[in-house]
Amino acid sequence: MRVEVDLDKCTGHGICESIADDVFEVQDDGTVLIHDNERPDADGERMQQAVTQCPAAALRLID
Amino acid sequence: MTVASSPQVREYSPLDLSTRRFWSQPFEVRDETFAALRAADGLSWHHPLPTMFPMEEPGFWALTRRADIAYVSQHPELFTSARGIALDPMPFEVQQIATFFLAMDPPQHTTYRRLISSAFTPRNVHRIEEQIQKNAVAVVDDLVGAGDVDFVAACSSRLPMLTITEMLGVAPSEREAVAKAAEKLFSMSDDEYSSLEERAQNTINEMMLLSNTGIELAKYRRSHPGDDLMTSIVNAEVDGHRLTDEEIGAFLILLSSAGNDTTKQTTSHAMLALANNPAQRDWLVQDVESRIGPAIEEFVRWSSPVLQFARFVTEDTEIAGQQIKAGDKLGLFYCSANRDETVYDEPHAFNLQRSPNPHLGFGGGGPHFCLGNQLAKAELRTLFRELLTRLQPIEFGEPDLLLSNFVHGIKRLPAHIR
Repeated sequence: MRVEVDLDKCTGHGICESIADDVFEVQDDGTVLIHDNERPDADGERMQQAVTQCPAAALRLID
Repeated sequence: MTVASSPQVREYSPLDLSTRRFWSQPFEVRDETFAALRAADGLSWHHPLPTMFPMEEPGFWALTRRADIAYVSQHPELFTSARGIALDPMPFEVQQIATFFLAMDPPQHTTYRRLISSAFTPRNVHRIEEQIQKNAVAVVDDLVGAGDVDFVAACSSRLPMLTITEMLGVAPSEREAVAKAAEKLFSMSDDEYSSLEERAQNTINEMMLLSNTGIELAKYRRSHPGDDLMTSIVNAEVDGHRLTDEEIGAFLILLSSAGNDTTKQTTSHAMLALANNPAQRDWLVQDVESRIGPAIEEFVRWSSPVLQFARFVTEDTEIAGQQIKAGDKLGLFYCSANRDETVYDEPHAFNLQRSPNPHLGFGGGGPHFCLGNQLAKAELRTLFRELLTRLQPIEFGEPDLLLSNFVHGIKRLPAHIR
């Protein structure tokens, strides 16, 4: 599975980072950097949480 | 219903949210009215809130259900912030000064937001956690054995004020004045802070004091760069331009109020709720470290420190089956969303084990979701860890409530601390 960010929507709240700080990092320019887009299936629950809790609806999961 | 969509013949709801009398009632009593509105079909139309400015507006639609508020918050193209976000009628120019990028839409908002959010990322908040911890310890040091105190002055107001003013680089001697001005600015509706005649002038005065503090700080940091938020703000470029003095002043007003009063009110409400619910307190104290995270979410839901913000409709559309027109004003009542019985079991119970807890205490999502949410949670975690592990249960007297339709506030809270 792949996790992607829409940078037009991302406002750098950092909720995703508080859920998975090894994957998401809000940079100093206020946009999120995804360290490894391809996620193992075992990481599905955590990624789903990051996607649903993003207040700007900027993240999505692609199977 | 075509009748309801025509402004001339729109009927005002018999459930009146727009009087001082309504807002002088306690939160729980007010929610009986909100509960009736949540249960009704569509949206309800209300008289404009009282205003200190010579402005006339026809009224506003009240949004009371969680789902409707989240929908509006996440569709800024339909529901704009750029015509103002104050529910009480207020000239846009005044709002711009006091709320800065709160009264903007994407993409303009996005540019400013990113500039500022760098200071509030989890990593950067983590970096100042040591400082927050040091301040929280100092606050609680002073409380041990303090006897009879006003808990708001002795505790709730202190950590947020120290944190945000240190982040901004405000000199220690000026911190109290900045915090007081910010508190006053958003408490004008209460007679204690301002008489009716003085209200408009006082608002302008407090705004000028805060704005000038920001401008002075900016000047100093341009010539003496440091390792603080103000230095990054003066150095930041938006579309090739540096922020103007006016913008920096507006930003200081926003940060000093948003970063102060909210966390302060949540601290008072949560401490009172813990004292009134000893079983909940005992449960939390048994394992503070692993239980404080979810508990904080309930603190924020319970407190709902910001009661409402407004939006304007950009094109004819529909919410909850209700036809609404371009130009209509909407009131987003987060206080009501956080008691929505279709979302929460027993919404009026203080339940630290509530899960999930999708409260709107930081807003309904979308671009204006609270920038300081990570910072607020870090402050609350740190402070309550100290309060719960180092102090005996505190006996509280009757809270003195703030009369406001914007901030859910406690002015004073008598406490006896052993």
